[in-house]
Amino acid sequence: MTTTVQSVAAAPRQASRPARRRHRENGTGWAFIAPFGVFFLLFLIVPVVGGIWLSFTGQTLTGRGGDFIGIANYAEALADSDMWRSIGNTIWFTVLSTVPLIVIALVMAVLVGLGLPGQWLWRLSFFLPYLLASSVVSLFWIWMYNPQLGLINSFLGFFGGEPVAWLQDPDVAMIAIVVTTVWWTVGFNFLLYLAALQNIPEQQYEAAALDGAGKWRQLFSITIPQLAPTTVLLVILQVLASLKVFDQIYQMTGGGPGGATRSTVEYIFEAGFTGYRFGYSSAISYIFFALIVIVSISQFTIMNRRGARS
Amino acid sequence: MKELRIPIGTGGVLTRRSVIAGTAAAVGATWLMTNLSGCAVVGGAPGAIPLKFWHLLSGGDGIKMAGLVDEANSQNPSFFATQTVLTWGTPYYTKLAMASAGGRAPDVAIMHASRLPGYAPGGLLDPWDLDLLAHYGVTEADFPAPIWNAGKSEGRVFSIALDAHPFILMYNTDIAAQAGVLGADGQLIDISTPDQFVDVARKMQAVTGVHGLSYGYLGDGAQMWRLFYTFYKQLGATMTLEPGTEAVVDEDAAVTALEFMQLLLDDTIATASGDYATALAEFVNSGSGMFFTGVWELPTMVTAGLPFDARTIPTMFGTPAVYADSHAFVLPHQNDPDPVKREEVYVFVSQILKDSIAWAQAGHIPAFLPIVESPEYADLLPQAHYANAAEILNYDPQAWFTGSGSDFQTFFAENVQSVLLDKTDARAGFQGFVRRLNVLLSKPNPV
Repeated sequence: MTTTVQSVAAAPRQASRPARRRHRENGTGWAFIAPFGVFFLLFLIVPVVGGIWLSFTGQTLTGRGGDFIGIANYAEALADSDMWRSIGNTIWFTVLSTVPLIVIALVMAVLVGLGLPGQWLWRLSFFLPYLLASSVVSLFWIWMYNPQLGLINSFLGFFGGEPVAWLQDPDVAMIAIVVTTVWWTVGFNFLLYLAALQNIPEQQYEAAALDGAGKWRQLFSITIPQLAPTTVLLVILQVLASLKVFDQIYQMTGGGPGGATRSTVEYIFEAGFTGYRFGYSSAISYIFFALIVIVSISQFTIMNRRGARS
Repeated sequence: MKELRIPIGTGGVLTRRSVIAGTAAAVGATWLMTNLSGCAVVGGAPGAIPLKFWHLLSGGDGIKMAGLVDEANSQNPSFFATQTVLTWGTPYYTKLAMASAGGRAPDVAIMHASRLPGYAPGGLLDPWDLDLLAHYGVTEADFPAPIWNAGKSEGRVFSIALDAHPFILMYNTDIAAQAGVLGADGQLIDISTPDQFVDVARKMQAVTGVHGLSYGYLGDGAQMWRLFYTFYKQLGATMTLEPGTEAVVDEDAAVTALEFMQLLLDDTIATASGDYATALAEFVNSGSGMFFTGVWELPTMVTAGLPFDARTIPTMFGTPAVYADSHAFVLPHQNDPDPVKREEVYVFVSQILKDSIAWAQAGHIPAFLPIVESPEYADLLPQAHYANAAEILNYDPQAWFTGSGSDFQTFFAENVQSVLLDKTDARAGFQGFVRRLNVLLSKPNPV
């Protein structure tokens, strides 16, 4: 910007050409993003704004009740214990899933990075589940979790364990969902870690070895600190991904048993599509949206403060 | 951020060339499939009017329905109906409601009669023209009154029932014979009290060495509700759900029903933690002598070659009653229906009703009386052994949120599963359910 201002001041007559060129380049740029922009506007901005309007009406699926009813939906939602429970479930799922999704991915990446034989097989097997559709993953695990016929309970029984109703017992259903989710998506994090591992300069390890550092010391003093940027990225991505969990819960438990696994997105779906109340469903969406914005801002604030300190 | 190098290609597993070739093949296959299925839509005689027919029948039911549709198409060259089969329960009903709300719905669909209160008053369905229906040989007199009335809403007829499908009791005749619980007619002895039922179940358990009874309910609100409501109605109780007021229920009857279910799920008479598939597998593999199930599982037993018979669930609490629902034809709301097409729908539906002896083979009790009263149906066993259930049918209590595969059943499961699984207090569980209903009743009716 500064250069442009200077050139305009210094040579006003010649200024028009670069300005015009920049104008033309801008035009080309807009043309390039136009296809995306149209879809972004039609399928994101328009529904988001429309949804805000919807949340202030009593709109139902049958087309009735489209009148403005003020903040009644928001007032009802804030007093709705089911909504708070679903938010609690979502946060619980996020906490339970984010930690293993990062720790296990790191362990797998470091193990593979050690240079085990058959590298391609390890990479493939850790990453493959991530390529499966959520419905396929759900079906696999529904069968494995079956209380009478499932693989997991036969395995437990072999060691003399009691059978567990994995998806039907409110106390363990969420853990079962988390295990499935970790198995399914850990491969993506693993891949990012593996890529980051290969970017750590070999000389650092050599230097550390010369100074007498063992493998563990190298892991904690070189590998993990060097992976910090990747870890930060993964935490941000993972928290946001976990907050919007829906597929596997809808398919495996439908939010049950007894609402023990009903996530917020599941509740929004139920309120709108089986409860017919689009207005109310939209109101819950915006409350949840506000919570996600708060989480994201606090994440960035914490990360920035840490970044500034170091 | 450092540059990320994604190390997939290094091992030679995935090269750019193979990815491109694979993608091209996938795109080609998709193109082929869409075009082939496109061909299937246009079928029948030249000039045949295409009818779009949605339903939620899969498995044995789905095969029978496909047969009926083919038959109707070949009998009537004037139309060609194609079915779209969607997943039972919430996925089907959300899609049907959305299609109807948009006014560009399929020409005809099958719904559970119990879901009518959530669809008809909201304008999601169009009413049937009874004169036109009579013109094609289908009148009110052709249906048992309770089944016909289940298709009415606010005085108009919105659904024409194909069947009634009650919850029944199947039993393994070999095991029953060994347990000594068959009567002189070769059918299960009369049972008229809960104690007698438990006694019969225990005798069968002694034969199988596993369980006496199979009943799957885990994670399945529909299954819990079907058996509960059977016992609840046998106790002479009612349930009235009127928006704007509290639910009127008989709590003592509910507790009696739930405590009897708890008694049965003691890991000896029946497993305490059975789900639908497990219970089915157990009965088919002779791990039990009796099976609480819907009529729709009959083809499964026939295919498995099991020696079995079936009967209406015995009246153990005084009043003869069973839970049931009906598959019924509806006209999903269209903003601008084509009258010629509509008329073909009437022909299609009347044709299927007249052929519904085939539907009886799938286990269902046909709703169309000329079929039920035919000699072929009387000879159809074990169907004829539970045909009397049609006289004691009980549909779900009426409200916009009740019915098969509805949230109502989910709420029942949320509150009652722990009563059955962990044997928590039945009264507290049922009260939790009623509280949930009261919350729904206090909200404005969205329909």
